[in-house]
Amino acid sequence: MNKRKVTLVAAATGVITGVAGLSLLAMPAGAGQPPSLPDVSAESLVQQVLTSKPGAFGGTVEVDNKLGLPAISQIPQLADGKHSARIWTDGNGKFRAALPNGQSEQTIVNDGKTTWSWNSQDNEVTKAEHKDEPKAEKPAQAESVDPATAAKQVVELTREFSEISVDGTARVANRAAYELVLTPKASEKTLIREVRIAVDSELKMPLRVAVLTNGTAEPAGTVGFSEINVGPQDPKLFEFTPPAQAKVTTPEAKESEQGRDRRPELGLEQALQGKDPQFFGTGWDTVVGARIPAEAMTQVPAEAQGLVDKFTKKVSGAWGSGQVFTTKVATILIADDGRVVAGAVPEQVLFDTIGHVK
Amino acid sequence: MITRQFGSEVRWMLRRPRTLIGLFGLILVPIIISFGIWTAGSDEGGGGPPGLGAILQGNGMVVPIFTLFLSLNLLLPLVASIWAADGLAGEAQHGTLRGLLVAPVSRVRLLFVKLFGLTAMSLFAVTLMAVVGIIAGTAFLGTDGMMTLSGTTLSFAEGLLRIGLFILLVTFQMVAIGAVALAVSSTTEHPLVVQAATMTTIIVFQVLGQFSSLDWLHPFLITTGFPGLIDVMRDPIPLGQIGDSTLLAGCYLLIGTGLAAMRLITKDS
Repeated sequence: MNKRKVTLVAAATGVITGVAGLSLLAMPAGAGQPPSLPDVSAESLVQQVLTSKPGAFGGTVEVDNKLGLPAISQIPQLADGKHSARIWTDGNGKFRAALPNGQSEQTIVNDGKTTWSWNSQDNEVTKAEHKDEPKAEKPAQAESVDPATAAKQVVELTREFSEISVDGTARVANRAAYELVLTPKASEKTLIREVRIAVDSELKMPLRVAVLTNGTAEPAGTVGFSEINVGPQDPKLFEFTPPAQAKVTTPEAKESEQGRDRRPELGLEQALQGKDPQFFGTGWDTVVGARIPAEAMTQVPAEAQGLVDKFTKKVSGAWGSGQVFTTKVATILIADDGRVVAGAVPEQVLFDTIGHVK
Repeated sequence: MITRQFGSEVRWMLRRPRTLIGLFGLILVPIIISFGIWTAGSDEGGGGPPGLGAILQGNGMVVPIFTLFLSLNLLLPLVASIWAADGLAGEAQHGTLRGLLVAPVSRVRLLFVKLFGLTAMSLFAVTLMAVVGIIAGTAFLGTDGMMTLSGTTLSFAEGLLRIGLFILLVTFQMVAIGAVALAVSSTTEHPLVVQAATMTTIIVFQVLGQFSSLDWLHPFLITTGFPGLIDVMRDPIPLGQIGDSTLLAGCYLLIGTGLAAMRLITKDS
């Protein structure tokens, strides 16, 4: 009889353990106690970040995006929501990134001579040989998910225009880090309240970047390592052999292929980055301006126009009329005559600036 | 002693005609998939299926993984629920469970024998599907090793290792579902009730998983762990999601086994 009771208790314990385990799994991983680190001045930390040279590492990057961007077909990882990517680098320019997208995956490998880009969805490899420059740049897509590079750029561009402080410590990917905070100076007319960068206490390498906007407590966007192992990586990771069945193309061929079924956003993209973009202002409230050629404006098919209308708001003023597209961290104003201005600023700043676009 | 009981349990299960018919049905799946991909390939283009299906062409070693991954959503839970239903409810219906309960064997041992039968048969069924998948896949689609989702090509031996790992992971999910089904099975005399309850739960879980407004609920659903198992086909394998899915299934296994044990212990013979 007693034995029966014991077994009953054991079985009940099993059930309770299972339920407890389920709730434990469902709980988001806690940040844990912030580590205690020796004090460091903000100025020296910034210097160390800018001069640090991250060596070889591999890790998983989590991107938490609440920017309110529409999904872009080439970079599904940047659409709203949580995404993860795995990156490896040998510290000397060789690089590998694996960007999972649902059940498929995009892999980008830079083996020092060639950048390979593989997409499992269409079984296709894009092969870009580096011409003369011995150290090719990382592909933009891969760069956008590497918090270390992204943070360095932010610091470099904005340090003059920000109040810089060290606000305690944090634990990121199980490493102790300082929280470096860049707050735009009061004179900056920007949507951004502050940028928090978690800097590894040993390597001085940025581990996490969070962008906070005015009026919200939660970051609008976070890019950070959830797991990182520092040290030499398996050299095999930086090699790529196209699979036997895959179609291998070059970026040039791909571009001309895309040119045929030209998508409307290409015009805007080219206008913003291509032909002499004009910059107005400095620091956080820099505004980029450009003019879309008239023929590109008329090429927009009706259905794409409908999509554009869905995401934008019609506005008009002394400068003319157009459409404004707002996200939490940036605003884009497209005038009906093809002038475009964009920046991390409220729309009023864009209305004031657009008159200067040539 | 216990090994003899294990052996006789599996022999009993294999002797049921419906088990044999079920196994035969299972091996048809990889054959149909291989044949389908093969015929689709001969007329070139036309955009393949999404996800893993996109790399199946000319890549026969992926067929077993693709097959098991698809079957995990409905077919394999169904099979697990049938075996769990036969195990206790089926015996109760035939009146043979009474004999087992009054026999001088501990009821916990009886449960473990049933659980062992479920595990052995699940492993057998999953392995059978995988082996047929390898054969059909290589026969229809050919093979030069195994191409992963990351675009790397694994050797035949490495490919077999991945398939082996996937067999174990899928079997564990099946056993977890089966354990919960055994708990249901211990409460009723009607095997069909067990099957209906299990399958309804699995389908409802999958529907709930579609609503992003219920995302607080998703970590509790065993079906949430299924898609993450596809990480086996990435190179190198990220262990995070696979570990989470397996832990999730482990919790279900504990709950199912615990509830079934409590019910069996307190049951009047």
